[in-house]
Amino acid sequence: MSAPEAPETAGYAGTRVPRVEDARLLTGHGTYVDDVTRPGMLHACFVRSPLARAKILGIDTAGALALDGVHAVLVAEDLNPGVHEQWYTLIGRDSPDTPRPPLAEDEVRFVGDPVALVIADDRYIAEDAVEQVVVDYDPLPPVVDYVTARESGELVHAAYPGNLAGELAGPPLDQLAPAFDEAALVVRETIYQQAYAQVPIETRGLVTEWSAATGELTIWTATQSPHEVRLFCSRLLGLPEHRVRVMTRDTGGGFGQKVVPQREDMCIMLAALKVPGALKWIEDRQENLLSAGQSRHEHADARIAFDADGGILAAAIDYTQDVGAYPVPWPVGTAAAVGMFFPGPYRIPQATWSTACVFSNTTGRNAYRGPWQFESVARELLLDAGARRLGLDPAELRRRNLLRRDELPYFNPNGMPYDDITPLETFEQALQMLDYESFRKEQEQARAQGRFLGVGTCTYVEPTTAAMALHATEGATIRIEPSGKVNVYVSGGSAGNSIETTVVQLTADALGAAIEDVNTIQGDTAVTPFGGGTGGSRSGSMTAGAIADTAAVLRERITAIAAHRLEADAGDVELTDGWARVRGTPDSGVSFAEIANLAYFQPEALPPGVPAGLEASGRYRPEAPIIWANASHVCTCEVDVVTGKVTLLRYIVSEDCGPMINPNVVEGQIAGGTVQGIGGVLYEHLAYDEDGNPVTTTFMDYLLPTTTDVPDIEYGHIETHSPGPGGYKGVGEGGAIGAPPAVINAVADALAPFGVEITRLPLSPAAIVALVDEAQSRQTGESA
Amino acid sequence: MKPAPFEYHAPAGLEEAVGLLAELGDEAKALAGGQSLIPMLALRLAVFDHLVDLRRVAGLRGIERRDGSLWIGAGTTQAAIQRSAEVAEAVPLLARATPLIGHFQIRSRGTIGGSIAHADAAAEYPAVALALGAEFEAMSPRGGRTIPAAEFFTGMWTTALADDELLTGIRFPVRPARSGYAIEEFARRHGDFALAGAAVAVELDGPRIRRCGIGLFGLGPTALRAAAAEAELAGADPAGVDAEEVGRLAVSALESVPADLHGSAGYRKRVGAAMVARAWQRAVQEAGDD
Repeated sequence: MSAPEAPETAGYAGTRVPRVEDARLLTGHGTYVDDVTRPGMLHACFVRSPLARAKILGIDTAGALALDGVHAVLVAEDLNPGVHEQWYTLIGRDSPDTPRPPLAEDEVRFVGDPVALVIADDRYIAEDAVEQVVVDYDPLPPVVDYVTARESGELVHAAYPGNLAGELAGPPLDQLAPAFDEAALVVRETIYQQAYAQVPIETRGLVTEWSAATGELTIWTATQSPHEVRLFCSRLLGLPEHRVRVMTRDTGGGFGQKVVPQREDMCIMLAALKVPGALKWIEDRQENLLSAGQSRHEHADARIAFDADGGILAAAIDYTQDVGAYPVPWPVGTAAAVGMFFPGPYRIPQATWSTACVFSNTTGRNAYRGPWQFESVARELLLDAGARRLGLDPAELRRRNLLRRDELPYFNPNGMPYDDITPLETFEQALQMLDYESFRKEQEQARAQGRFLGVGTCTYVEPTTAAMALHATEGATIRIEPSGKVNVYVSGGSAGNSIETTVVQLTADALGAAIEDVNTIQGDTAVTPFGGGTGGSRSGSMTAGAIADTAAVLRERITAIAAHRLEADAGDVELTDGWARVRGTPDSGVSFAEIANLAYFQPEALPPGVPAGLEASGRYRPEAPIIWANASHVCTCEVDVVTGKVTLLRYIVSEDCGPMINPNVVEGQIAGGTVQGIGGVLYEHLAYDEDGNPVTTTFMDYLLPTTTDVPDIEYGHIETHSPGPGGYKGVGEGGAIGAPPAVINAVADALAPFGVEITRLPLSPAAIVALVDEAQSRQTGESA
Repeated sequence: MKPAPFEYHAPAGLEEAVGLLAELGDEAKALAGGQSLIPMLALRLAVFDHLVDLRRVAGLRGIERRDGSLWIGAGTTQAAIQRSAEVAEAVPLLARATPLIGHFQIRSRGTIGGSIAHADAAAEYPAVALALGAEFEAMSPRGGRTIPAAEFFTGMWTTALADDELLTGIRFPVRPARSGYAIEEFARRHGDFALAGAAVAVELDGPRIRRCGIGLFGLGPTALRAAAAEAELAGADPAGVDAEEVGRLAVSALESVPADLHGSAGYRKRVGAAMVARAWQRAVQEAGDD
């Protein structure tokens, strides 16, 4: 019996390996930041502005300080001068970032703006004390509506005329005038998307512990990037980077909200040096919905020109986003992505774009899973509207315009170099899974009975694994310990995205180790290599590269030791299941444990030139600046036109993320993003009244989709290899990009018999009833 | 999101409980499951110096037939009501309304007395009590009394109960022959407070409607009876009734319909009319089949 051929990359990648995180998470043994307790730990709570905009005339802390158990009440004068430097590695020192004081100084700029910090024995006392802090406000007229903020006489920040945080643009629209003027059809709409938010189930929070004796600061925090927190904190406080240690075991969701520390985090870091022991701040849900940030709030004047056959001639988008009072991080650069990706995976000869970021007296904008998502919302709505006006089936219109593989590589008209994508293939696969033609028949029959069914699609291409600045490289350290067991150290920053499982799978394959012998240590800056953490759909590909580079060194060493031991040629040694064997002689082999024993304890027995120990570090730097991924979403729905209720019937995603490291993880990522996208269209709305008061600060008012509100998601996979390690692509963000347009188009399709066009979100039941009413009265008016 | 300090009392008897309430006055609040009160305290939307927990008070729980009615102790949990075969048989409308209350975790702690005494305008039980003409038993240091449902809900989160008076039990009429019941509500998601809802009870007498009770919820400051529609239906032949007209009539006189992010007053009225029409159709169908 001959030994099986050992594949170069063995068997764990590509399989549904159970998640190594699940045992602790599903039994309630995860370690989130609120699970961290330190001896003598104090608790912090913020005094927050009840007004959208006001001058601070004075703060009286005497009543709060008089309460038993209150240690300190800190205001801007106490904390803000402690700031040494304040900038994010993600954005860079020299970007024209917007203001970000830790505590509000002279003026509060949104309801929830932190004004003072109470430190007490426990959170109950801290909250009692917060009620005793008397802030004397002189109200100012707030700038609530970002849409009119550029014309407002009031300024959110005095240094920003017209409330403009920044703007960028492509070529002048005039250059496209011939294409638009001569087109058979130009579809042009102003499309508006409401504010919604990431809403991680674990809110923000951190525990700090300062040791004056050693000059070391330890931080436990809920973050997507422990190393960014460490760098940021060391600059903020003027501490050497290696004197700050950041630890994160489990983070209960981030979705962009936890990519960088925000103002509250800064306050706790600054206060850490002023208190005698550890200090904990755990954001509660109300604070999270008040102050952790908003996203998606934006609109655009978007247009697409078609020829008579539905071929796209040109596309242009003039885009404006609400950045609130204190956006995090700098929003102007990311806003440009909406313009750059507006053409999507379609053959579009000409395009242009412009973007503007506008301040308002509301909570700051921050990153959210596919921050440029609006490009797909605007484009896919216009494509369906165009199809309706041309009398074409929207699927047929897309078939005529989607990029084909033989056209790749393809530069989109804004210069984006697409390659290794399959938009037409995912689109056709998703339609086939639905049985699109049958659905159209079912829809027709239902309409005859007064029931309104609809189908909507979205096909997008997204940049993943963008390798720049903080995200330019990723490191790994692999230690085969003296017993032969393996520890893999990577930066981590898992926020639920299974990066521990991924690392274990990839390492087992890369070394030829048994998966149960591989453990990973992540999230502790004192022991893991520097890395960018979770964000930009980068973890899978970047970590795969870091592990491959590092494991290659150890593989060579193991092979050399085994060949020496077995008196074989190194080329004949194969590594599988924690054993080195000579090909063709399965009975003779040496285990990783024996090799480790030699490497650590009998270095004299090692072959010449092989270093002692089995430990290696590597740092991966990708050649491709971006890895492109793509997917098509298709959903069907029924709309009750009396109540406006939308019931989703089927939901299908066909995606191309390259080979899947773990299909369970891929599908989990798609499902999570898709449900957030569904929520964003049908349920979620981070709303303010006209005075700038937030009206959705509990889960009674801010509605998240639950399991009963979404159908089972069906998955299709198309697999093309990226230029990155293993051919892998990113998959973390796409669900949240593709879902909203598919849902919106499905509702619009259902309501097409009424002449409804959807250009405003969210699609609450009341909004849907109003749309049907308006369309009916418009038609009545027209026929009169 | 931590409540302000309060003193917790857990009396074992009814007399002691009402005595505490009388002694502490408006600084005290009865705790009867806490599924609304505790979140309000945690958000500091409400502050009470004393909470009087009714959980240990004897005699407040149970489901039993008494004098031709079904008596349900005020401290009976919604989960117990949902599980009760007696309720399903004798008061089907109550049984059907219960699964619509929040989520199962909420129903495990929430009590019928708490729900009715809290008197949220969008809650199901007050509307069910109105539609069925239930009676509420109350106790204070001055003794016991019975309050008809129609006289109980006096305004937003306010009732006919005095500060020192506790709701101790609810008496529901047992279902007569040839009757039908339905509850319809529209909420953004399952378990949310309804934007609009209707509980309908129909009793037939020969070919005619003997009595129709319509309780509306989510459509005013309190649960409401659609009195005009009820009067119009009494004595009518159901075959000649247009369901949509019943819906329109039921909401026609409504004033102070709430409006918020989830819908305008006009929207809620329209949805309310649709809920009445749907519930009426199902209830009258069941009565006819009975």
